[in-house]
Order: sequence, then C-alpha cells, then structure tokens
Amino acid sequence: MSLAAEAFVSQIAAAEPWPENATLYQPLNDDQVLLSDCASSLAVQAYLKMCGLPVHLCCRANAEYMSPSGKVPFIHVGNQVVSELGPIVQFTKAKGHSLSDGLDDVQRAEMKAYMELVNNMLLTAELYIQWCDNATAAEITRPRYSSPYSWPLNYILAYQKQWEVRRKMNAIGWAGKSLEQVYEDVSQCCQALSQRLGTQPYFFNKQPTELDALVFGHLFTILTTRLTNDELGERVKSFTNLLSFCRRIEQNYFEEKRPCNQKVAGSNPDPPRYH
Amino acid sequence: MAACMELYCWKGDWGLPSVDSDCLTVLTYAKFAGAPLKVHKITNPWRSPTGSLPALKTEDDGSVSQPSKIIISLRKQKYNADYDLSAKEGADTLAFVSLLEEKLLPALIYALWVDAKNYVDVTRRWYAENISFPLNFLLPNRFHKQQLEKLQLLRGDPMLEPGDELEKELYREAFDCMTLLSQRLGSHKFFFGDSPSSLDAYVFGHLAPLLKIRLPNRKLQHHLTSLENLQQFCTNILHLYFPSEVKESPSCKPSVRSDSSDLDDEPHKRRNQILSALVALGAMLGYAVITGIVTIKRAQTQAALEGEEEED
Repeated sequence: MSLAAEAFVSQIAAAEPWPENATLYQPLNDDQVLLSDCASSLAVQAYLKMCGLPVHLCCRANAEYMSPSGKVPFIHVGNQVVSELGPIVQFTKAKGHSLSDGLDDVQRAEMKAYMELVNNMLLTAELYIQWCDNATAAEITRPRYSSPYSWPLNYILAYQKQWEVRRKMNAIGWAGKSLEQVYEDVSQCCQALSQRLGTQPYFFNKQPTELDALVFGHLFTILTTRLTNDELGERVKSFTNLLSFCRRIEQNYFEEKRPCNQKVAGSNPDPPRYH
Repeated sequence: MAACMELYCWKGDWGLPSVDSDCLTVLTYAKFAGAPLKVHKITNPWRSPTGSLPALKTEDDGSVSQPSKIIISLRKQKYNADYDLSAKEGADTLAFVSLLEEKLLPALIYALWVDAKNYVDVTRRWYAENISFPLNFLLPNRFHKQQLEKLQLLRGDPMLEPGDELEKELYREAFDCMTLLSQRLGSHKFFFGDSPSSLDAYVFGHLAPLLKIRLPNRKLQHHLTSLENLQQFCTNILHLYFPSEVKESPSCKPSVRSDSSDLDDEPHKRRNQILSALVALGAMLGYAVITGIVTIKRAQTQAALEGEEEED
C-alpha cells in the first residue's frame, strides 16, 4: 500500500468501530491448508482474541488469490481487506486496539526484532520443510495444496508454487542447507525464544502482545501437525517453558468455547491433522 | 594452533575496508575476535575459492561462503567475539540480525542497485572501473539483475518494479529499523556493553556503506545522519579497528561529483582530446591521399618531366 492510501485507510479505519461481522479467510482447514499458512492464520486469530475483537473464520479454497498481497490469512472488516499479521496489527491500532502500548522504546525494539526472528527463521524453515524437502513435498504438500483443483490445474499450480518457493530459498541462501541444518536453525530459534521468555507468563511479563500471538501460532501448529517425521515437533518439545506458554494461551483464549470435537468457527484452534 | 586462514573479499573505497556489506561484516567480526586472517582484496568474484565473495578458505574446513557460515567457522577455530555474552544477549543478537535482514537489507539493495540514479552514477561506475577487462562489461549488469531478483523474492512479489511507491515503502521500513537500532543502542559504545560482538559487526556492515558512500539520492543517508549515536558507533569502529582505511580516505578522490572529476582529470582529458583529434585527422588525410581524393602536388616539375622522358 502506498503511503497516501495507507493514511487514507487509517483515517477511515479510525472512524468506524469494529463490526460484528468481521471475517477471517484462510484456505480449507481439513484438506488444503499447509503448515505455514495455518501457523500464520492461528497467529492472527490469537492476536484478535487477545484484543477481544470478535471474528468469524471462513475457509475458502481460493483464499490465497482473494488476498490483496497474495498471502493468507486476511480479514474483511467493514469494507476493508487487510492481510498478514503486520498490517492487521496496524489496522487494529488505528481502530484504537493495541497490545503493545505499555511497552517502552527498548522493549518495542526487542518485540519487533523477535517478531522478525520468527518470520526469518521459523516461517522460512516451515516453508523449506514443506516445499524443498522432496519427501514432504511429494507426500503431503503438493497433494494438499492442489486438492481443490482437478487435473491438470493441480499439477501446474503445485509445481508453480514449489518453483517460486525454491527460488526464494535460493535468493536468501537457504538452498544449500540440508534438512538437518534447518532443524538446527529451528532449535536455535526456539532456544532464543525460550531464553527471552524465561519464567515469565508472556514475553513482556504480564500482558500478551503480538509477539506472543505470533509465537503461539507457529509453535502450536508445529506441535500439533504430523509431517513425514516428528523431528520438528520433537525439537520444539524439548523447550518446556515454550510448551507451557502454548498451553497457557490455549487455555486462556481458545478453550472456553471448545465443545468436544466440533469445529466451531472462530474458536477452534485445531490445526489440520495430516493423515 | 591457528591454521592459516585466508579471506577473499571485495576491495575497499571511500574510507571503507570493503564496499560490500557481507564482506564488511566478516572483516569487522574477524577484527573483533582477533582472528589472524590473510585478507585478499580482489575485484573478481570468480577468483575466490567458492565463486562468490566473501569467502573464507581454511585448511581444515575447506572454503565457506556466506557471512553466517564464515562466522561459525571462525568460532570453531576459537575466535569468538560472543564469548562473554549471556544467553539472553545471544538470543537478542539472533533477533536483531533478523530485523536487519528483513527491514534494512531490502532498502540497502534498493538504494545501491535498483534506484536508477544511484546505480548508474555510483555503483555501476565503481564496479566498471574496478573490475578488470573484459569482465567489467559483464559483471555489473549481472549483479544488477541478481540484486533486483533478490529484492523481488524478498518482498514476495515477482512483478516488482522500481518506482516511487516501492521506494517509500522500503525506506519507511528501513527508517523504522534504524530508529529501533538507535533506541536499542542508546548511549552505549557497543550493543552489549563495552566489548563488541557479532551484532555490532552485522550492524556496522549494513550501516557503514550508507554512511560513507556518497549517493545522489540520499534519503536513506539523511535518516542515518540524523541518528547521532549510530553515526558515532560506525565512526568509532572505523577509527578503532580500521585506522589505515581512515588515513587513506582523505586522499581518495570523490569521483562522484562531476565537476570535481572534471578538474581532476583535466590534464589527462585535454591530452586525450588532442591526441584523439590528431589521430582522426591523420587517418582521414592518409585515406584521402591513398585513394587519390587529395593529391599532394610537389613543386618539382623537373622530376615529373624526367619521369615522363624515362617512360618514353
């Protein structure tokens, strides 16, 4: 978005209160959504819950194409469409809801830095494992990504996306990494997060911020998704304070509306079970 | 105990030990850690052991390429500038390096390689002047394409085109990033107390080119100069760890300013102009005489008569 358009949007956003019919769009939960998309979507859901803003979850096969930036998830609020956690945080801030107001400058710098760490390492590692590891790509990623489409579109779209992701890995220097090195990077990232969290309930002591939402989204999805092997989940599980952090957020923000195994829109954080 | 390690990196200019961010990061880290490196400053990336710069060649581990891998390799050899850091500070290092790479690096790539005026006036000119023939015709354009592609992939938009909007967006994120770094640094000498660490090397590697390379389009540089503590931080590191480069810099010709370049080159420029004019004139005259357009009439009619008599 250009600066002028953004200023205009913030003004409009500030003028209206948060409506009841706000909707969050993501790919189909059971068959289509991938690890990285599910993590991003869960992060946004967690953030909105922490702000106390109601949102309905809507699963669409073409969510990626509907999104203004090409990335999921995106929210449809009033007559605006905003995608990705960063812009959504700014959007809610313009409406007067913010979780990071109580932080001082140094803390805000650290929060932004750690959010970039998660994006840079965890998200990239998820993308690598999904698309650049041949076994996972063939067994899980490509079939899931192209499940709503029929032949030959499913082949074309899946390979096109794979090619795009591999080019990106090449550009940022991850193409030469082995799977073992990627798992090492994930461990390093989790260790950094674990160090920062320490024994506090949230990253910035008593109140959750967007960093907590982002970390929860990624870690919870990694812990509850089955891939070709359990290495990724095992690496995260070795950090006990991160495990209890995820459980705490799940209990505080997601569990009160979860009846049995029903999928209630907007409240169930269950990630897809890969069979 | 230390195997002889060789580091290949880009040549320096404008008072910097190297013009490339990654090379600067590695050089600075090596200085911080006190690693004895044999530094080869070259201008041909194909001469490096891995085909790209920076590259570290060790006897034990072979050759490694990217800054993060080089730093890990140096640490394995017990040259570790992060030895004194606590676990939390180590975590902060990872986080801030990610911040640099996601927010500042795209703007840096844009300012040096994608912005039309900067690229043509400064970057391409420097690389064309410093790379040896005939690669100086090929490599700058190739680097330009690679950097543009990298920017497109980093932003996730394959249709990215340079323009005002993109510039504003990238620079805005870079300004935020620089402000955040400035807030984190505060009034300290280095990011974690009094001794430098790898985070200081990364920040220096990304900010020093902005500070020293004089670009026509200076928006990014203006913001950096408004953050005094970051400017002080860079100058400090340059004076403490690269004093030889700083001493050489006053003698470096600021070849970007067109009027001063005219003055500096003027004796040679005049001579070249006269020589080329003479050569052109000589060539034209020679051609004219040989093809008979112009004949040189000699005033020796006797010789011509004798010539005619002989023929008879």
